[in-house]
Amino acid sequence: MIIAERRPIPEILRNIEDYQKILVLGCRGCVAICSAGGDREVSIVAEAIRLARTLQGKPIEVLEDTFIRQCDPEYLEPLKDYQGKVEAVVSLACGVGVNLIADLYPEIRVYPGVDTSFYGANLSLGEWVEKCRGCGDCIIDRTAGLCPIARCAKNLLNGPCGGSQGGRCEVRKDMPCIWHEIVERLKARGELERLLEIWEPKDWRSAGGDGLRVRVREDLRLNGGK
Amino acid sequence: MEIKSHLEELLSSGKFVVTAEIGPPRNADPEVIKKKAKILKGYVDAVNITDCQTAVVRVSSMASAVLVMSEGLEPVMQMTCRDRNRIGIQADLLGASALGIKNLLCLTGDHPKFGNHPQAKPVFDLDSIQLIKLVRGLKEGRFENGEEIKGRRPYFFIGAAENPFAEPFDFRPLRLAKKVKAGARFIQTQIIYNVEKFRKFMERCRELGLLDKVYILAGITPPKSLGMAKYMKYNVPGLEVPDEIIKRLEDAKDKKEEGIQIAVDIIQQVKEIPGVCGVHIMAIEWEEAVPEIVKRAGLYPREEAPSFMPPFVVEKVVEKVVEKPVEVIVEKIIEKPVEVIVEKVIEKEVPLEGEMAEEKIFTLIEILSDLKASLKSLKAGMESLEEGIARLEEEFLRKKEVRPIRKEVIKRPEERPVEREAFIEEKPKIEERVEEVVVKPEAKEVKPEVKPEVKPEIKPEVKPEVKPEVKKEEEPKEIKPREEEKLEVKPVVEKPEAKEIVEEKTKVEVKPEVKLETKPEPEVKVEAIKIGGLKGIYRPLSERAKNLPQDLYMEKATGEIKEVVIGNGDRAIKVGGVSTLNFHFFEGEMKNGVKFAFEILDIKPEDWPESLSKYYRDVFHDPALWAKKCVEEYGAEAICLYLVGTDPNFLNLPPQHAKKVAEAVVKAVDVPIIVWGSGNAEKDVEVLREVADIVGERGAVIGPIVEANHRTLAAVAMGYNTPVIASSPIDVNLAKQLNILLENMGLPLDKILMDPSIGALGYGLEYTYSVMERIRLAALFAQDTKLQVPFICSIGREVWKTKEAGLPTDELMGEAESRGILMEALTGIALALAGGDLLIMRHPKSIELCKELFRGLSMS
Repeated sequence: MIIAERRPIPEILRNIEDYQKILVLGCRGCVAICSAGGDREVSIVAEAIRLARTLQGKPIEVLEDTFIRQCDPEYLEPLKDYQGKVEAVVSLACGVGVNLIADLYPEIRVYPGVDTSFYGANLSLGEWVEKCRGCGDCIIDRTAGLCPIARCAKNLLNGPCGGSQGGRCEVRKDMPCIWHEIVERLKARGELERLLEIWEPKDWRSAGGDGLRVRVREDLRLNGGK
Repeated sequence: MEIKSHLEELLSSGKFVVTAEIGPPRNADPEVIKKKAKILKGYVDAVNITDCQTAVVRVSSMASAVLVMSEGLEPVMQMTCRDRNRIGIQADLLGASALGIKNLLCLTGDHPKFGNHPQAKPVFDLDSIQLIKLVRGLKEGRFENGEEIKGRRPYFFIGAAENPFAEPFDFRPLRLAKKVKAGARFIQTQIIYNVEKFRKFMERCRELGLLDKVYILAGITPPKSLGMAKYMKYNVPGLEVPDEIIKRLEDAKDKKEEGIQIAVDIIQQVKEIPGVCGVHIMAIEWEEAVPEIVKRAGLYPREEAPSFMPPFVVEKVVEKVVEKPVEVIVEKIIEKPVEVIVEKVIEKEVPLEGEMAEEKIFTLIEILSDLKASLKSLKAGMESLEEGIARLEEEFLRKKEVRPIRKEVIKRPEERPVEREAFIEEKPKIEERVEEVVVKPEAKEVKPEVKPEVKPEIKPEVKPEVKPEVKKEEEPKEIKPREEEKLEVKPVVEKPEAKEIVEEKTKVEVKPEVKLETKPEPEVKVEAIKIGGLKGIYRPLSERAKNLPQDLYMEKATGEIKEVVIGNGDRAIKVGGVSTLNFHFFEGEMKNGVKFAFEILDIKPEDWPESLSKYYRDVFHDPALWAKKCVEEYGAEAICLYLVGTDPNFLNLPPQHAKKVAEAVVKAVDVPIIVWGSGNAEKDVEVLREVADIVGERGAVIGPIVEANHRTLAAVAMGYNTPVIASSPIDVNLAKQLNILLENMGLPLDKILMDPSIGALGYGLEYTYSVMERIRLAALFAQDTKLQVPFICSIGREVWKTKEAGLPTDELMGEAESRGILMEALTGIALALAGGDLLIMRHPKSIELCKELFRGLSMS
């Protein structure tokens, strides 16, 4: 899922310093699961804002709400009720949600409450690690399911580089060298020859090199899609 | 047909080649490169120029290659994938070839993280193998996208790097095979110190049939110092340095010499390995060593390179290669730097060694800043010492700042003339306060404004009639100062027996006169301890909290503690009736405040500490007199009669005894009475049954009731309609349970006082506090109705039985009486804050102390 981290409170405060009444809006999707923007975090952020502003001598009224998702116009509709009632919205959803709010409700001043980072897995409580770069051209069928675009610091396709030592990446010693892992795995499966073929340079267009990425499924659209 | 590079020529004719490396400068000075090239010329066949090695910004490899060519030395340009995408790479390669560069080493490149611009976006559009393939494509007339190159194709002798020691070790030869397949023709390896392992690697390559297809040059580096060798061993990934090398350097006298020798030795060794076609000597920032190494390794002289010059500098060359008018232009541009020869200082670049020097500097900086920090803390420590000394001086020498309570209590019991003189000496200073003093006595009650010097609690236990006459004659002069002294300093005042203690309020008005009489005396048996008031000016809560919105600190309770009436008639007292945590007047009210009861025993106490018993010694023999003294002399508003004599493990006196005592006490005083049994559940049933007969009509409280005897005693209490003490062993649930049981028996909640079985200071005070607090919080905020009952705390008994209360005065433990008083008072205060509503205490002074504090806390 998308992993995000709450932005520092001073920065959020800077964004809302001119307002007296705002809404802190959480999301029950990815950010809730990675404990950055769910219901709980909404109350924490709201309370922190109230406290900070009270100490500054500029009290602020902070409303709290959490939507199921903010990446869906349908689920954002309740925002209409807040229009005109609050001066700004601090959204704790990932960048997707904040952008969508900005698109659909231009009059609402929406500010991000979290920094959106990566696609990651929740390895253990409180630990999330990137697993995928969203390059749009999946190659892990050939690398035993381990992605070098995401997990090799130099995103090599013909790895490993000369800096792989002790199974660790020289750039990120806390991370294993993913090419080392790939080699070992393919060796164990008896498929090492695959790596003897030279991997052609990657087409980076699907990875964002082409600008904004859009996906359309015409068949869904024709059948009463939004 | 393109002219091969010199390097390629040599290798293809089977010669053993020598290449070296130059690190370009971190500025725009061409002379640095030229100088290095000059050093190496004639000793190497070609020289590599690194491409922002370790991601540190330097002159680009291509520009440096051109400058190297101007010195007549053949360059090997290095190209990494870190900084350029395929468009930029191809553009640079076309340009490099156009400039006459023929040797190209293709690398992936070190990650920006290692360099001095870690925030840069790493490109890595391609990796080294894809790059090799791209270059071969260019050679064959194809751009990366497959498009044909029309016109002159770039020509390169393609090389790559390989690290025989990286992992997975087995995979390395296979990866080398990939590079060869992609188009690499020569390989330069990572630095070799572990010749054996390298030999194995070469063997494996031979097995893969690679040695026929590619020329492998062994990488050699002379360690410049022991530090450098160690750095390479421990800090550079992919470098294996055997311990023998370290040892050789450690033992060597001239490290540099040894380093060169080590390099030479390794060259000799690798030369013998089949497939090794040359050596690549990397002596960054020690280029001068290369000629020496080459000579000693027997590799000198090198074959003369055909008059090698960059195609654009020399007029002749221009004439030869006249096809491209472009070159003419280039020639003109380049000529200028060639003409200008300026001696410049060699830049200190940042190779391994250089990095180490930086490391040392960093360590030095660290150490220095650590020292500075330590110096700062030292200074801070000195300052606080000075402050402390100043304060001490203030307190004891110059101004005698009065801290009433502490000051008083710390006075020594035995008064000696010497001491008096000491007081006398202090007079002059104290006189300054005369005016203030005189004004104060008029203050009847503690008033916020007058706080600083008001001591309304002063009880000079001196009766005007008795002593004064004597004193007046003795020390008439000392009277006045004494007066002031007393008010300020609170020196010890004796308390001869049989003196009347004036009530608080009246005392204050009488003060000035009374003061005249009070004087310390050597023969004084009992010392009175003065309890002063609170120091400082009180600021009401409304002022202190004016910046805070009320809802931030106020939390109103949802429940209320019941009010229990003890005793009857006009001396009856009410306990409890609080609708908030004790003393939180901003949130609710304490209808009845905290009440105190004096404890007396039914027998003469044997082991009471002196500092306590001296107050009651005259009445120990008679509980009735004792009770009377408490009420009349010390102003007790309730008496707790502790029937310790009936304890089966003690004197085991019969219920009749208890009854007799109770009768006597009931007759002697008319304040409410609390009867506290021995604590033995069975015996208490008998005893209290008898006693209830007597005290029942007085509305006295009986107890302690425990679960074991609650049925009978509850019945007794209901029979006489008296309140009870419900005693539980410091546990929230047990306390609640007992209340429920009693209620089930028919005893209403407003007839129950909870005794949580308190622990004295040092003997469980904190635990008691936490249990009481939890009970109180449940009662007030969690709507736990069964706990909405006042607390009764038997403090005196717990405190005065401790060892510490009874220890004599000594240096370590301080003055005995004040210790005991403070222990009792602190226990009482703490428990009152936790929720205690009725405190049973013994020492009159500790009760006074508590009352004073509560008075202060009661101000809102």
